[in-house]
Amino acid sequence: MEIVRPEDIERIHEASLTILEEMGIEVMNDAALALLENAGAEVDHSSGMVRLDRGLVEQALTSVPPQVTLTPRNPDHAIDLGGTHLNFSLVAGPPNVHDRVQGRRSGNYTDYCNLVRLAQSLNIIHLIGNQPTAPQELPAATRHLDTYWANLTLSDRVFHATAIGEQRTLDAIHMCALARGVETEALVDSPALLTVINVNSPRRLDDALCAGLMTMARWGQPCVITPFTLMGAMTPVTLPAALAQQNAEALFGVVLTQLVNPGVPVVYGAFTSNVDMRTGAPAFGTPENTKANLIAGQLARRYGLPYRTSNANASNVADAQAAYETEMALWGAVLGGAHLVYHAAGWLEGGLTASFEKVILDAEILQSMAEILQPIEFGEADLGLDAIRDVEPGGHFFGTEHTMERFETAFYRPLLSDWQNYENWEAAGSEDAYQRATGIWQQLLEGYAEPPMDAAVREALNDYVTRRRGEIERVGLDFE
Amino acid sequence: MTDAQEDDIDLRSLSDDELIEQMHDDLYDGLQEEIVEGTQILLERGWGPSKVLDEALVAGMNIVGVDFRDGILFVPEVLMAANAMKGGMEILRPLLAETGAPPLGKAVIGTVKGDIHDIGKNLVTMMWEGAGFEVIDIGINKPVEEFIEALETHQPDILGMSALLTTTMPYMKVVIDELVERGLRDDYIVLVGGAPLNEEFGEAIGADAYCRDAAVAVETAKEFMQKKRNAAG
Repeated sequence: MEIVRPEDIERIHEASLTILEEMGIEVMNDAALALLENAGAEVDHSSGMVRLDRGLVEQALTSVPPQVTLTPRNPDHAIDLGGTHLNFSLVAGPPNVHDRVQGRRSGNYTDYCNLVRLAQSLNIIHLIGNQPTAPQELPAATRHLDTYWANLTLSDRVFHATAIGEQRTLDAIHMCALARGVETEALVDSPALLTVINVNSPRRLDDALCAGLMTMARWGQPCVITPFTLMGAMTPVTLPAALAQQNAEALFGVVLTQLVNPGVPVVYGAFTSNVDMRTGAPAFGTPENTKANLIAGQLARRYGLPYRTSNANASNVADAQAAYETEMALWGAVLGGAHLVYHAAGWLEGGLTASFEKVILDAEILQSMAEILQPIEFGEADLGLDAIRDVEPGGHFFGTEHTMERFETAFYRPLLSDWQNYENWEAAGSEDAYQRATGIWQQLLEGYAEPPMDAAVREALNDYVTRRRGEIERVGLDFE
Repeated sequence: MTDAQEDDIDLRSLSDDELIEQMHDDLYDGLQEEIVEGTQILLERGWGPSKVLDEALVAGMNIVGVDFRDGILFVPEVLMAANAMKGGMEILRPLLAETGAPPLGKAVIGTVKGDIHDIGKNLVTMMWEGAGFEVIDIGINKPVEEFIEALETHQPDILGMSALLTTTMPYMKVVIDELVERGLRDDYIVLVGGAPLNEEFGEAIGADAYCRDAAVAVETAKEFMQKKRNAAG
């Protein structure tokens, strides 16, 4: 869906180029500054401010591939970013976790593993984004090794490298190669994983993420360049201004990836919403957020880049607000032509909590959305004239041959919705969707089976983690 | 009243009571120049700096605080009010020091090493200034050495630290542990904040309090300063 006229998309594009040419982006990483300067960007070394002329931007856009395939250890779970593909990721990054049984608590490794198991169990969750909750009891410098281990052993889906610096990024790339049973070099032409590079809006790219971006690009893995732009705080309050700034920041990251490695896949990320101007608190699933999701898709298509956006809400519990804000954001993402929807399942509290019940609620919403997107193609039999002829006025269709041939798969079967009448629902315990969601995730975890892994691969991964943990404990990490 | 008429008010023509009321309105409207002028007029009329502070500025900001809490005022309006208050405080602060009146409080604030997210910290800085505190903001991505150096240089009452990432928030403990190591921990009120933090974390790392938002940071800082003054008195 295109809600902004093409000529107005051009005005946003022009404004973005003006931002890049005249105001610039502050880059806090020396290697990136050197690379940009060599390419002809104007670099002020005292402030780290980089100004890009439009030629550099146009040049970078000529080498970006429109689509990328990411292949995890199970090739059946490969995903395509681009074209008509749509992928949903598990929630990423919350410091807290919540479920209806144990309540709210700090992120920890046990819950981390259970969230990964849930993602593995739900076909509608195509990939694992950044840590579904931060396992805070683990040391920050080696936590990424534990989370990669869980991602690779408990699931066989694509996941996200924690690109805070070069070393954490390289650990992810090496471990993906081990899990696929190939040399790391083989991943350069057959990428396995992705990461999100957040621009620290307004107009700042930090040192550690720059290092992560450059490492990913060098090794042929796609970065999703995502300015996190909350209108009112991190951009002006008007949507065109927010989009122009977001677009400038995203294009800047795209340029940097192409300077490191021309032709490396890169994804256009957008995450624009607004704050509550009465408190400063972030809000999501707002009309402004939905419009931003739609328009950012137009911008991504203008550049021929795969498009990532988010499915977020600001509710503190998996309640009606969580559901309707999520639906708003998701419709914006889907109609906006997103190829990748981050935080698609489990996000609560503006991203501060991963909710087990919300994972289930979202899985229902996402499955329904996927069903809606099935192409409508039909033959004569689907028109069902014979079935209509066979049933007299006032009759019913439950027993017709046409129905008998199709009834099991005719309609979407919900995961969570309850369609009983009131009395039956009451007799069954009067559980609402939130309560029923608890039973569903518990069942999924009980029925979960670890995806098989070759014993030698498992051992190689384990050796890698052990070795790296020892090294980091002895000599530290590039960004601690 | 239109802006043009408001501009026409001659603050000097007002009685003390009228001027105080006008300053409360001007704080509410975030008019820094008017607050600076009103503060000077009251001083010229022989008011003591403590009396100006309490009756004109603090009382006016209390009205702002209540309307912010109740969702009547928007964030930009509160920041404008805080900025106006800061203008008045800059005149009063040296005078208050001369009289030996207990200072409202002084704080050093910064975002810890590895973290460059500072919008929340900047809001707290402005809100503290709005409450009359003197605030030294040392910036982002600050290692423990720079926190210690700022504390030694500025001798504040309060140390404020912020972080937005679960990977950087443990660094707050590094700073606190260093204070303990040097026997300096009890010299400061340590307040921490940031989206991924919570009260439990604040306690675990040995902070005095976790502040869940900028408004709470103001209330908490005031409470601790009151306790400190009581203990000293």
